[in-house]
Order: sequence, then structure tokens, then C-alpha cells
Amino acid sequence: MKPVDLARKLRREAAFEPAALDRGKETLMAAIRQEVEPRRRPTIIPQLPYENVGAALSFLERAFGFQVIPASRLEGADGVVHHALVEFGDGVIGIGTQGAHGAISPQSGGIESQYVSVAVADVEAHYQRALAAGARIAKEPRDHGSGAHAYEAFDPEGHRWRFVHQRLREVREPEERRSR
Amino acid sequence: MSSPSDAEVIGRSLGEPEAFGLIYDRHAAALLRFLGRRAGARVAEGLVGELFRIAFERRKAFDPSRGSALPWLYGIGSNLLLKHRRGEARRLRASARMAADEAADKRTSAAALDARLLFPRVADAIEALPDDEREALLLFAWEELPYQSVAEALDLPIGTVRSRLNRARARLRELLEPKGKGRMRSQ
Repeated sequence: MKPVDLARKLRREAAFEPAALDRGKETLMAAIRQEVEPRRRPTIIPQLPYENVGAALSFLERAFGFQVIPASRLEGADGVVHHALVEFGDGVIGIGTQGAHGAISPQSGGIESQYVSVAVADVEAHYQRALAAGARIAKEPRDHGSGAHAYEAFDPEGHRWRFVHQRLREVREPEERRSR
Repeated sequence: MSSPSDAEVIGRSLGEPEAFGLIYDRHAAALLRFLGRRAGARVAEGLVGELFRIAFERRKAFDPSRGSALPWLYGIGSNLLLKHRRGEARRLRASARMAADEAADKRTSAAALDARLLFPRVADAIEALPDDEREALLLFAWEELPYQSVAEALDLPIGTVRSRLNRARARLRELLEPKGKGRMRSQ
């Protein structure tokens, strides 16, 4: 028998589940979205400084549900992450090594010079997730007169984050308001 | 209207990345089977998405004079499989056992014994081929690609594919030659 025919005899089909095709397609579509999405980047991207960017990213993912945009990761030759963009809903924020652009982490500077407000659909669920991940809570969840439900938490380097759900209210005419 | 060729779809995907999904729909099942034969279903399922992700990222390099993307995709798959060589060797030996069992069903006990001795040797001989020769041989023998497609998959001139296949054949013949000589060819 010829060698090629002998080799052919060892050919075997491997059965696969139909769902495997869907999972494979999801991997491809994620790569496609990655390429399409930069065009929809917001006009303003705040940048937050950290001492340890890698630890910050993993905390922000775990505790707050942010997602790192893989293509944006900048790593040094030593594998240390210097900068990455994270997204949440349609918002994007940069997480970078402190000092690179003058800004420093509250952990080094001892002050918070700003806080970031993030709109979430379910404040209580978000709060529970942050608690479970060990976030230090700055303000417990509560209702505000403005119709907002919000809580505030610190990340490990002391940046303050506010998570808020703004309840939709009927917009009243000024006369109606006056008559009440 | 006839459906657009792979080359046209890939060309369109440069401006509209989503169009590349059609390349997946056309060829993913064939590639999943290819990866499964070589590395087993479990590994194949993990690799097929990766294969198409790489293809998507390299789509600018696709040569539009080739109508079908299939050989090009096989080529990307072949490279991915190099990282899974250990699993492939296991799988090849398992295939050899199954092939021997099948042969045993159909033959006299003496021939069945031959098959039990022969097929593991075939597996070992394929396994022992240099990577480039094994890849050409399996694309030709298992995937039944014509020479031209093997050449496209491996990004080689067709003459080089011919010589690799010839070397692989000669090496297999040599590795399979039993001590007593000549029995294999008389079958």
C-alpha cells in the first residue's frame, strides 16, 4: 500500500457540538467589535493616575464591572501595564501610571482632586458587588432629593467613585409646580 | 445574483469589518473538523475562534487573486496546531488503534495482527516527519487539498510542495519498511 493511502487510513472525524461554532463566532465578533468601536470613542476621556496600574485594572473589573479594552493595553518589556482604557456602558476612562503626565495617585498625594460619577442601572446590586470585592465605602447608598439613588466608594489607591441611578421623573410645567 | 467570492467579501470587510462574519459562516465548520482531526474536539473548539480572529486581523494580507479563502485559513490553522503538537501525537496514536480495530474486523486473524503492528508504526512515522513535511502530507492526504491549495495554505511555491510531499512519501516508506522487506508493498 502507498504511504499516502496508509496515512489516509488514520484520518478520523472528531465530532463537535454545534454550540462550538457559535462560541468560535463570538470570539471573532468580539475582535470585529474591537476594530469598529474606536470610531465611537467619546470626545473626552478622563485619565486617572495610579501607582499600580495592573492592580487597579483588576480591581476596577472585579469590583465595579469595568472592562479593559484589550487593544489599548500598553505594557513594558517586563510585562508591567503602564496604561489601559477601561469601558463601562458608553463611557471610557484611562488608567495610567502616575507621574507620566504630571498627575499623581491619591495614595501618593494624600488628596483626591476629583471624583468620577458613573451611571448604573441597579445601584444596590452594584454596591453589593463592590462590597464583596472589598471596596471601601465612602457613602452608603441613599436616595437624594433630586431623584438620584447613589453610593460612593474608594478604589485601593483612594480614587473616589460615585455610582448613581437617576430616576426618570415627569417634567412638570413651572405653573403646575407653583400650584402644588 | 451570484454570491460574492471570499476575496470580494474580505475586500469589503476592510471598510466594513462586520462583513468578515460571512467568511466564518462559510468555512468555520470545515476548519473545526480539520482542527478536530488533528488536535481533538476539545482543543479544536478552543482554537477555531482564535483561528478566525487571527484571519480577521491579517485580512489585509489576503491575496485577492485567490478566489477561496479556505487554503489561507488552513494555513493559519496549521500554524496554530504547531503549538499543540503533543496533543496531536496522542491523537494520532489513538487513530492508529481505531484504524487497526477496523481493519481487524474485516480480515483474517493474521492480517488483523499485521494491522495492529502496522498502524501504530504509520502513526509513529507520520509523527516523526519534520513539521513542514507532515503538514504538507496531512493537508494533502486528510484534507484532500490539491497541490495548488496546499501551496497557498503553506505559502510556498507549488514545486516546493511537490518536493516536500515526495520527501514525506520517501521517508514514510523508509520508516515503514519492515525488517523482512517488501511485505508492505505486496499488500
